Amino acid sequence: MNPVMMLAAVLLPIIGGALVMALPFKKRLHMEIYLEVLVLATSILVWAILAEGPGERFPIVKFVHNLSLSLKLDGCGMVFAGLVSALWPLAMLFSFEYMKKEEHEKVFFMFYTMTYGVTLGISFAEDMLTMYFFYELLTLVTVPLVLHTLTREAILASRKYLYYSLGGAAFAFISLVFLLVYGSSLDFSYGGVLVTEMTAGKENTLLVVYVMAFLGFGVKAAVCPFNAWLPQAGVAPTPVTALLHAVAVVKAGAFAIIRLTYYSFGTDFLAGSWAQKAVMGIVIFTIVYGCSRAVKETHIKRRLAYSTISNLSYVLFGVTIMTPLGLAGAFTHLVFHAVMKICSFFCAGAIMHQTDKHYVHELNGLGKEMPAVFGTFTVSSLALMGVPGLCGFISKWNLANAAVMSGNAMAYVGIGALLVSALLTAIYMLSIVVRAFFPPTEFDEAGTKEYRDPNWLMLTPLFVFAAAMLFFGLYSAPIVQFFTDISNGVM
Amino acid sequence: MKESVTILFPVCLPIVAGLLLLLVRQPKKRSVIIWCSAAVWTVTALCVMGLVCGEETSFTLFFLTGRLPVYFRIDGIGKIFASVITIVWVLAGFYSFVYMKEETCEKRFFGYYLIVLGVLLALDFSGNLITFYAFYEMLTLLSMPLVLHERSREAVMAGLKYMFYSFCGAYMVLFGVYFVYRYANTLSFTAKGVLDPALLSGNEGLLLTAAFFMVLGFSVKAGMFPFHGWLPVAHPVAPAPASAVLSGIIVKAGVLGIVRVVYFIFGADFLRGTWVQTAMLTLSLTTVFMGSMLAYIEKGLKKRLAYSTVSQVSYILFGLFLLDPAGLTGSLLHVVFHAFIKCGLFLCAGAFIFKTGKHTVGELTGIGKEMPVTVWCYTLCSLALIGIPPASGFISKWYLCVGAFHAKLAAFSWLGPVVLLVSALLTAGYLLPVTIRGFLPGADYDYGSLVKKEPVKMMLAPLVILAALAFVLGVVPEALIRNFSAVAAQMM
Amino acid sequence: MDFVQNFPFFSIILSMFSGTVSSVLPARAAKILNTALISVVGMMSAVLLAYLMGTGESYVYWMGHFPAPWGNEIRAGVLEAGMALFFCIIMLLSVMGGRKKLIGEVEYSKHNLYYILTNLLLSSLLALVYTNDLFTAYVFVEINTIAACGLIMIRQNGRTVEAAVRYMIMSLLGSGLFLISLCTLYDLTGHLLMSNIKEAVAVLAQRQEYQIPLMTTIGLMCTGLAIKSALFPFHSWLPDAYGYSTVSSAAMLSSLVSKGYIFLLIKIFYRVIGFDIIVHGKIINILFLFGLLGMVVGSLSAIRENDIRRMIAYSSVAQIGYIYMGFGLGTEAGITASIYHILAHAATKSLLFIAAIGLTDVSGGSRRFQDLSGAGYRHKIAGVAFTVGALSMVGVPMFSGFVSKLLFAEASIGHTYKMFPAVIVLGVSTILNAIYFMKTVIRIYVPEKRPDFEVITVKDEKEYSLTLVCFIVLNVALGMLSQPIEGWIHAGLAMFG
Repeated sequence: MNPVMMLAAVLLPIIGGALVMALPFKKRLHMEIYLEVLVLATSILVWAILAEGPGERFPIVKFVHNLSLSLKLDGCGMVFAGLVSALWPLAMLFSFEYMKKEEHEKVFFMFYTMTYGVTLGISFAEDMLTMYFFYELLTLVTVPLVLHTLTREAILASRKYLYYSLGGAAFAFISLVFLLVYGSSLDFSYGGVLVTEMTAGKENTLLVVYVMAFLGFGVKAAVCPFNAWLPQAGVAPTPVTALLHAVAVVKAGAFAIIRLTYYSFGTDFLAGSWAQKAVMGIVIFTIVYGCSRAVKETHIKRRLAYSTISNLSYVLFGVTIMTPLGLAGAFTHLVFHAVMKICSFFCAGAIMHQTDKHYVHELNGLGKEMPAVFGTFTVSSLALMGVPGLCGFISKWNLANAAVMSGNAMAYVGIGALLVSALLTAIYMLSIVVRAFFPPTEFDEAGTKEYRDPNWLMLTPLFVFAAAMLFFGLYSAPIVQFFTDISNGVM
Repeated sequence: MKESVTILFPVCLPIVAGLLLLLVRQPKKRSVIIWCSAAVWTVTALCVMGLVCGEETSFTLFFLTGRLPVYFRIDGIGKIFASVITIVWVLAGFYSFVYMKEETCEKRFFGYYLIVLGVLLALDFSGNLITFYAFYEMLTLLSMPLVLHERSREAVMAGLKYMFYSFCGAYMVLFGVYFVYRYANTLSFTAKGVLDPALLSGNEGLLLTAAFFMVLGFSVKAGMFPFHGWLPVAHPVAPAPASAVLSGIIVKAGVLGIVRVVYFIFGADFLRGTWVQTAMLTLSLTTVFMGSMLAYIEKGLKKRLAYSTVSQVSYILFGLFLLDPAGLTGSLLHVVFHAFIKCGLFLCAGAFIFKTGKHTVGELTGIGKEMPVTVWCYTLCSLALIGIPPASGFISKWYLCVGAFHAKLAAFSWLGPVVLLVSALLTAGYLLPVTIRGFLPGADYDYGSLVKKEPVKMMLAPLVILAALAFVLGVVPEALIRNFSAVAAQMM
Repeated sequence: MDFVQNFPFFSIILSMFSGTVSSVLPARAAKILNTALISVVGMMSAVLLAYLMGTGESYVYWMGHFPAPWGNEIRAGVLEAGMALFFCIIMLLSVMGGRKKLIGEVEYSKHNLYYILTNLLLSSLLALVYTNDLFTAYVFVEINTIAACGLIMIRQNGRTVEAAVRYMIMSLLGSGLFLISLCTLYDLTGHLLMSNIKEAVAVLAQRQEYQIPLMTTIGLMCTGLAIKSALFPFHSWLPDAYGYSTVSSAAMLSSLVSKGYIFLLIKIFYRVIGFDIIVHGKIINILFLFGLLGMVVGSLSAIRENDIRRMIAYSSVAQIGYIYMGFGLGTEAGITASIYHILAHAATKSLLFIAAIGLTDVSGGSRRFQDLSGAGYRHKIAGVAFTVGALSMVGVPMFSGFVSKLLFAEASIGHTYKMFPAVIVLGVSTILNAIYFMKTVIRIYVPEKRPDFEVITVKDEKEYSLTLVCFIVLNVALGMLSQPIEGWIHAGLAMFG
């Protein structure tokens, strides 16, 4: 496969998305078809690239020094690219239906499609600079999506999102410069690029830089105390919250941290240092903090957003274990959580779309009228809790197993945090389910009669995700093996 | 050991039937639901009987991940639990035909009732820790609708409380599982433990912590102090048949979990004389005493019985933690006896409510005159629970005390029996007033308005059978004791 | 001697001369002359740059062939030539972008005056860039000040007069300090030509004589130029001067005038005192400190501002802080980064000023944020340009600001004490930049139906739009072609010797 194809995959949605504004669509349906074909074409292209496996590097632009923007496919990028390419077409389908109610959807679809390309750019990035570039770009193309409703809330949320993200990137940027100075190159290579002779005596400085960069990229991954933007960004339309704020954007943060930790600084340098303890401590705290806030929150989407915060830190916990197994666990949760969370967000979106209800206490008895939506929601809740047989169990198992194997006492505490969080997950997810299916007797049944399950456009993604959760929960050996290979540096 | 898929039949049948029942439309006639359900659990019961009488069987369904099979096996312990469950389930089921007439959403009740039966059987037949854990979580989820069946605000809150406590326990277990996976050769249940001695050396402290968490986790479902809070809330709000199986059977899932962890994963030798044993003995004895005390001061009958469960299940746990064959035999006996007795007591309490609508002990004055057969059943069960010879409770308590002496555990050897005795006295104190007041209502009782309120035969029959079992098993316990001692000896 | 070598002298004298001529020309002719002048000077600088790149070494040009110490010398290296070219480009674009606005803001009869001042400004800037004589530099500093004051004041309303007076007072203070330091230096060394002074200073340093007076002199010189280029805490004159003058003036003041002084300071570092002596002195530490403070305080003030022009003006304070921070690092990498930032900031800041005026035009002339809502839709090109400028300021890759930030960070790594303060303040300052620039960008793209405001399309203002497009291209070019530019800066610094 020609490496130019990667550039094509990145540019196709960006240009195609920008064209949405320019093309004169006679009917909404035409636009829908155009977009779905565009997104599917990109995904097929991505799959073709992935099927080929890791390839050569492809330089695009040359910058100062030896810096350049260049693309290259490696195992780590394959995971992320594969993930987003699988989710985007489905999310698109969902958003066609959802956005019917919203205004200026063309702008929305433009940026929504462009984000796809930028996310692919992040996963294909060959070096730190390229990733940083797409990372900044990601912030910029997603701001209009947060801003979409143009209410006062949305403006505040998008501002906060911008400040946090750009600020975080600014600190991540510092690490880029340090890597430039102390590393052999900015390229991602498994095991890190730091040159031992140069780092001698400067270890502490570099560790400080690592922690700063971790927190900097951690802003997107909503690490405490930089998580405030995420629940607030929930004012965006649900397809955005579901795909971007549960998967693409936030996972880009986690992905960047994986790159930073395993491919730039290298675990040999970091493992056992105080920096590892520091970041692991932060992550463990976030796991518990996110869940506790979710329990307290009564707005459905914000509750799920807090849940995302916690779950992202699961991924980061895997990363901070700093062993190949930990990375494999992180990958597993990166992918599986994406499926689970996007499903639960879509359910929330479907509920809001069909009933205009936004708060948990309004959901009494809806399970009877919308069995498909609440059924899939239940499945995703159980998966998030980590009930065996669904994919959440597998990822948690892998994470915990890695933590146990690492022999790191702090990682043991992390396991405890995972389980506390699982309990809290049960509380905040199942209380919704119980409400929907078993409303208290004083509840008035007539009030819910008018509500129905949404149409197939919305339901298809839900069912696909639910099936995926079950499938991966029962049969995960090949995919986990794939992740393990990557995290052993095989790919 | 033979591989056979038949093992799955009693598991799948009720689950599938239950799911169908939940998903199909409400049939016109109530009897359709009833007879379908009855047919299903009768067939299931027959299957279980067949399996229990047959040889040890195992079956690997598929692999969850590389080293984690979903694996079923029938062994001695599983047989004991499975038989008890089936018997109680069928009896309580017939009882509920009558009882549930007055309640709404019968379809849902029977649906979940069937599913839970399947899950419980799967739990008993689980051959490794992961399979067990999986069904343990499912049990929590699927039995929750039984708790909140009445859907009053109180019931819903109780259901949630039950669920969250149970999950809390389950996750403590999972914490331990992660560590066991690291230091064990396999997660399959094997008598005398599965820990790898080579990996183990130097990590005993870690493993003991893991064991502590696992046991503590399972003890949540068994209602042991300090995680007993959910039990007196959740059991009384459920409809009586549900309370009966919850209190009689589902708490035993926790007991089974502890048996599996202590004797089949870590091995009794690994835990004997460690701080884990001491801690668990202390906690279980505390619970025995505390449960009885709380039951003694409680006014509501069902709630009193729930506290009694807290206390009685900890008898079982005490026996388990003695790590002694006699104590273990006593525990297993008490599992069986307590299941029948507590189920019988709850069904009686249900019958009182069903017929008279009276909930508290104080209201039940003179009930013996109105419903003599029921109260006689109640009395027999009570006597058995107190442990008055020759009723069954005596036998199990005897073995528990023998175990305590055998185990040679300094203070516990005498403290255990003393606490058990005190608790037995308290048991008498909280159970017998119903009988006494029921038959001897006192001088100011108005005999004029006395109406016979004895329930119909369908409801009465299970009561009588359970009471008879509770009594008769105490009279002719040899077969059971022989069988259980053999099982216990294998496990040590 | 090649004919090309006359170009620096030609450009200075040509600008002064056309300034004089403009006084008798009508406004229209003055305008044409001005444009022609800037273009011609720009072209000459470009040719000179190419020539110097070819020869690879700088040269000294004796005015009237009188040798030092009697004659006046001009010196040209690639850095000077490139700087001159760049100043011309920015000036041309700034004047073009502000032309339409000028009609509204300045009396027509005073237009030729405006062009006179612009021409003088250009000549003084060129002189500052090229001169090799410290006293000549002083003279042109004064000319520069006067021209700048005129440019501020020419929009005659109370505020600008007040701003101009403030600017005048602060500037003269700066010039005064500069003059005093000049005198001291003359006393210490007996020379006014830069190269001669440097030799003398080197001797002094070797003998360890007059160390304290020498340091004081350097301190005074730095302070004087710092006041003139609005380094924190001497920035109080800046917001009014940039905020209320006409738009071209603001663009030129922020991107050229202050940069001229900074360039002079760099020359003093390299050509007068000697970089080694500067690095070993304590003064750069003070510059470093105030640079950092400026970065933070400037941005904080910008965040508090509710007037888009003043906000951009305060942002300049922060950006000047970056430049001085680069000086303060005391390495060649630091100076390189500073010079790069001079370019990047000049290109970006004038773009922002020009774009802001387009946005305020479609908001009823109001500069307050609440009126600017949706301005990006009413004036599309201005909105896009402002966004580009803002992104560049925040340091998004592909734009100029990113490269200078990269260079600053890279330069700061390796310092024992200055590394962490520098990188952390860089990070913080980026966040602060993001806060006020992105706030504005979001604001101008929040659609709000304001039928009372006019809508301007590209067709309505062709020249203005062209200017903005040029600016955007310039910005992206700086961001993408950083490698040759960095090479050029290195070559230029090497030629400073």
